[in-house]
Amino acid sequence: MATLELSNLHAKVAEDGGEQILDGVDLEVGSGEIHALMGPNGSGKSTTAKVIAGHPAYEVTDGEVNLHLDGDEFEDLEVDEADLHWNLLDLEPNERAALGIFLGFQYPAEIEGVTMVNFLRTALNAKLDERAELFEDEDEDAEADEDDAGYETSPMEGPVDEGEVGVEEFQAILSEKMEQLDMDESFANRYLNAGFSGGEKKQNEVLQAAILEPEIAVLDEIDSGLDIDRLQDVSNGIEALRDEQGTGVLQITHYQRILDYVEPDHVHVMLDGQIVKSGGPELAEKLEDRGYDWVRDEVYEAA
Amino acid sequence: MTASTHQSPSVTASTVEEISEGLGEPDWLTEIRLEAFEAHDELPQPEVIHTPGRRWTNLDDVDPAALADPDQSASAKDRIEADGAEVLAWAEAVDQHPEVIEEHFGSVVDPQRDSFTALSTALFSAGTLVYVPSGQAAEDVTIRTSMGARSLFNYTLVVAEESASVTVLERQSSAATDATDRYYSGVVEAVAGENASIEYGTLQNLDSDTTALGVKAGEADRHGTIDWFEGNLGGGLVKASVETTLAGDGSETRIVGAFFGHDDQHVDVASRVDHEAEHTTADLVTRGVLDDRARSVYEGVQNVGREAWDTSSFQRENTLMLSDTSEADASPKLIINNHDTEASHSATVGQVDSEDLFYMTSRSIPDQAARDMLVEGFFEPVLDEVTLDELREDIRALIADRLETR
Repeated sequence: MATLELSNLHAKVAEDGGEQILDGVDLEVGSGEIHALMGPNGSGKSTTAKVIAGHPAYEVTDGEVNLHLDGDEFEDLEVDEADLHWNLLDLEPNERAALGIFLGFQYPAEIEGVTMVNFLRTALNAKLDERAELFEDEDEDAEADEDDAGYETSPMEGPVDEGEVGVEEFQAILSEKMEQLDMDESFANRYLNAGFSGGEKKQNEVLQAAILEPEIAVLDEIDSGLDIDRLQDVSNGIEALRDEQGTGVLQITHYQRILDYVEPDHVHVMLDGQIVKSGGPELAEKLEDRGYDWVRDEVYEAA
Repeated sequence: MTASTHQSPSVTASTVEEISEGLGEPDWLTEIRLEAFEAHDELPQPEVIHTPGRRWTNLDDVDPAALADPDQSASAKDRIEADGAEVLAWAEAVDQHPEVIEEHFGSVVDPQRDSFTALSTALFSAGTLVYVPSGQAAEDVTIRTSMGARSLFNYTLVVAEESASVTVLERQSSAATDATDRYYSGVVEAVAGENASIEYGTLQNLDSDTTALGVKAGEADRHGTIDWFEGNLGGGLVKASVETTLAGDGSETRIVGAFFGHDDQHVDVASRVDHEAEHTTADLVTRGVLDDRARSVYEGVQNVGREAWDTSSFQRENTLMLSDTSEADASPKLIINNHDTEASHSATVGQVDSEDLFYMTSRSIPDQAARDMLVEGFFEPVLDEVTLDELREDIRALIADRLETR
C-alpha cells in the first residue's frame, strides 16, 4: 500500500526564463485507486507526470511530491518508520522508480541495440538493488560487512547476489506477462521499442509496469494511437495492475475512450497548471460531451 | 620534420638485407625492400584529411624510423591454421609459395604508397601468407600478434583463388616492455579471385603508448567478395585505412568499423571503396564512441568509376561522444563518375540522448548503468554485421571492460 501526494506543486522548464507550467497542483493517489487526469493540450498533464518521475527538463519551484509507503508491507523487514515516507524531489529518477513510481510514456524512447529482455531484467534487478540501498540500515550494513567480508546485504532482499533475478527465472516471468497482455514472444528479443508500432509501444509500457510492479503508475496518454483491440489489451493490463498488484494508477488522458474500459474512481480536470475540478466517472462523461470550455467558464466565473 | 631527421642509426640498408636474407627471400623481394627503404625518406607521410588551415591528424611527431627496432623477436605471433588454408610464417611462405608471393606482393598496397608504408615494407619480419587454393573453404584462420618490442612491422598477404573462401581473425595486443614509446605498423593485402570470398576481421587492442598505423587493402575479381571488420580499441595515436577495389563485375565489399577512444587517444579511421567494374556493391558502416579527451577523425570515400555501371554504394558513420572534452570530425565523400549509380552517404556526431537516458533511469536503472547500456547498444547494430562470432564476442567484452573502468 502506498499514497502519492502532490502538494502545491509548482514547476517550470529548467532553463533561464523557462516557462512556468505547474501552478500549484494538489493531488493524492492511493494504492488500488484509479485516477484520471484530464485536460486540454498544454494544461500541464504531461509535465505533472514527468515531474513526479524526476525528468531533468523541469525544475520544481515550490511544493512537494511525497510517497508514503504502508508499514504492513515491510512488517518482516524491520524498516524504520522514517523510511516509509519519502520526499521524491530529493531522489534521482531511478530511486523514485525503485520506490515504486512508474511512468508510462506517451512517446517511449526507441533504444537501438538494447533488447527488451535484457533491458527489463536489468531494470528489475536494478530496482531490487536500489530498494536494498534505500532501505538499508547503516548499523545492520556495518555488521553485515563484518560478517560477510564486504558482502552487500539488505534488510529487504537479503544478499544482493542471491536476490538477483537470473536469466531463466526472468524469462519465465516475462513469458507469463507477455501472454497475459497478448504480446508475441518475439518482442522479447527485439530492440527496445525500435520499429514498434504506436500500439505495440503502449502495450510494452504496460508490460514493463506489470514486471516492475510499481506502487503508483502514472500513465501518460497510454491510450493514444491504439486501435480498439489494442485498447482492450492495454486496459486489461491496467486493470490487472490494480487488481492483482494493488497498483494505484494516475491515468492521464484526453479522451473518455479508455475510461470506458478502465473506470476511474476519481476524475480530475487540469487547466493552466492546476487541478481545477475533481469528481467521479460522470465528470469524464460530461467532458466527453461538452469539452473543457464549461470548466474554464466555471473556474473564471468563480474567480 | 620528416621521418628521416630522426632516423635511428641502427636501421640501415644492411638491416634490411639481413632481415630479407634471414627470411630466405628471393632477390626481387630484397630489391623491393631496399628500394622502399631508400625511398621512404623522400616519400610523403600518409594522407590525412586537410581542410583550409587544418590538418586533422598530426603525424609530424611520429617518427617510425627512430623507433624502429631491428630486433623484433620480442614480439610473438600465433598462427592458427584452418582446414582448406595454408597459413604460413613468412620464411615458410617464401620457401613454399614463391610464385604466389611474386604474383601478389605489393599488387594491392603500393610498397611506396607513403613514407610509413615504405619503411614497413623494408623492415617487416613478422609476415604471414594465408593461401587458399582454388575451390577450398577455410574458416577461422587466426593470427594473434603480441607486441613485445619497441616496434613491430607486420605484414599479411591473403590470397583466395577462384571460388575459394576464407575468414581471418587478426588480433593485436601488447606484451610488457620497457619501451614507453612504441610503434606498430601493419600492412594487409587481400586478393580475392573470381567468385572468391574473404572476410577479414581485426581487433586492435594495443596499449596507449603505441602509435598504430595500419593499411588494409583488398582487390576483388569478378563476383568476388571482400568484407572487412576493423575494430580499434587500443593504441595512442591510431591511423587505420581500409580499402577495397572492386575490380571485377559483380564484386562486393563491406567495410564495418567500430572504435572506442578514451583518455588522449586519437583515432583516425579511413574507409574507401573504388568501384571499377559493373554491378558492384559496397556497404561502409562505422560506429565509434569517444570518452574523456579522445578525438576521432573519419573519412569515407565511395569512388564510382566511369565504367562502373549499375553501382550500389552506401556509407554511414555515427559517432557518440560521452564527454564534453572529446571531439569528432567526419567526412564522408561520394565521387560519382557514372550516372547508373544508387548511392548514399551520411555521418552523424552526437551525445547520449537525454530522453533515452531518462527513459532508462525511470525504470530504476542508475544513471551510469543506463549510459553504459546505451553505449553497448550503440555498437550492437555494427556488431550484428560481424559474422565472425569470436570477434564479435571479444569486442563486446572489451567494450564492457572499457565501460567498467570509466
